Amino acid sequence: MPIDTFLKSVEATKFATAIRDSIWMFPIIESIHVICFTIVVGTIAVVDLRLLGLASTQRSFRRISSDVMKWTWGAFILAVATGLMMFSNNARVYYHNPFFRTKMILLVLAGVNVAVFELTAGRTSSSWDKAPSAPRIGKVVGVLSLAIWISVIFMGRLIGFTTHPGTVAPPTPGVNYEDFLGGPSSGGSNGNTSGGGTTTTPTPTPPNQ
Amino acid sequence: MNSFAQWLTKTSLSHTFRVQESWLVPGVQSIHIIGIAVIMGSLLMIALRVLGWAGTDQTLRQTTDRFGPWVMWALALQLVTGIVMIITEPARELVNFSFWTKMVFVAIGTTLAGIFLIGFPKHEQRWEALVKSRTFKSMVIVTFVLFLCIIVLGRLIAYDHIWGSWSPATQEY
Repeated sequence: MPIDTFLKSVEATKFATAIRDSIWMFPIIESIHVICFTIVVGTIAVVDLRLLGLASTQRSFRRISSDVMKWTWGAFILAVATGLMMFSNNARVYYHNPFFRTKMILLVLAGVNVAVFELTAGRTSSSWDKAPSAPRIGKVVGVLSLAIWISVIFMGRLIGFTTHPGTVAPPTPGVNYEDFLGGPSSGGSNGNTSGGGTTTTPTPTPPNQ
Repeated sequence: MNSFAQWLTKTSLSHTFRVQESWLVPGVQSIHIIGIAVIMGSLLMIALRVLGWAGTDQTLRQTTDRFGPWVMWALALQLVTGIVMIITEPARELVNFSFWTKMVFVAIGTTLAGIFLIGFPKHEQRWEALVKSRTFKSMVIVTFVLFLCIIVLGRLIAYDHIWGSWSPATQEY
């Protein structure tokens, strides 16, 4: 499986190894990831609620959007960067995790949703800028945006519950999970470490919750 | 606190929650994260308005009227979801250095945010000079940074061992 060969080489990079070998790097990177996506979701919601005519209805849509979106994008870029860092540390496990895959699909859908908006209601925003809500297509985009981002948060949280040693995830054919562990398992994980991570942190190893 | 955590673990409510743990814990944690997203987005909008970096077409009062209630209601949601998490996993939360440090930050952060969000709309004239002062602007930045620390400490509850001997959890092993 070439993708697994690639992911294995990602895991073997100096940076990914440094994250695995450090007890504090992963938690700090994850915390920054959380800070960034709370800003992303919190600020996007401001725009979505304005599209729906549920809040800030007396304000110009374009004014709100320009006030908010630079922070959304800045935080999004940082969230992607920290996300890639976390991914590199345990690439094959994340890649084969169903919640991770669902989250990635949702992020693509969020992008498509923004593109649809830009090509439709966004293009004509000068005509409804002062109206209390967007045209119907803009409202649909707003609802979808809120639903997608809330789902992204749920999926993201579930990744943390399904990628640590001891979780019984179905083993993916063609992946030799023994390679992940770099030796005999350190116990405490009911013997079934399929789906486990490459955790090399000192014992005890808490789950990535 | 150890014995309180033990007692709480033995209560039937805690047991009921634990039976449903597989979906309840990630579900409630996700709602808790949505709550902090609402708080961070709203606090950011208020902070940017105070600093004059965004929302300058609105008065500060209009901005706090728009975002203040969201902060307050989301804080209430955090309290409820937080309590559910404590009842479900008492030892994970209560015997935890990150948790208690977070609670100190929560106490200070919500007090600062609360004084402003409740006090300012009530006494707008009296606050007028104050909100323009440099001290007030720095207090707003401090409050926002406190909430950033709250997020970090909240996440570190799951990794309390990184504090070494400060973490009561490491002493169990």
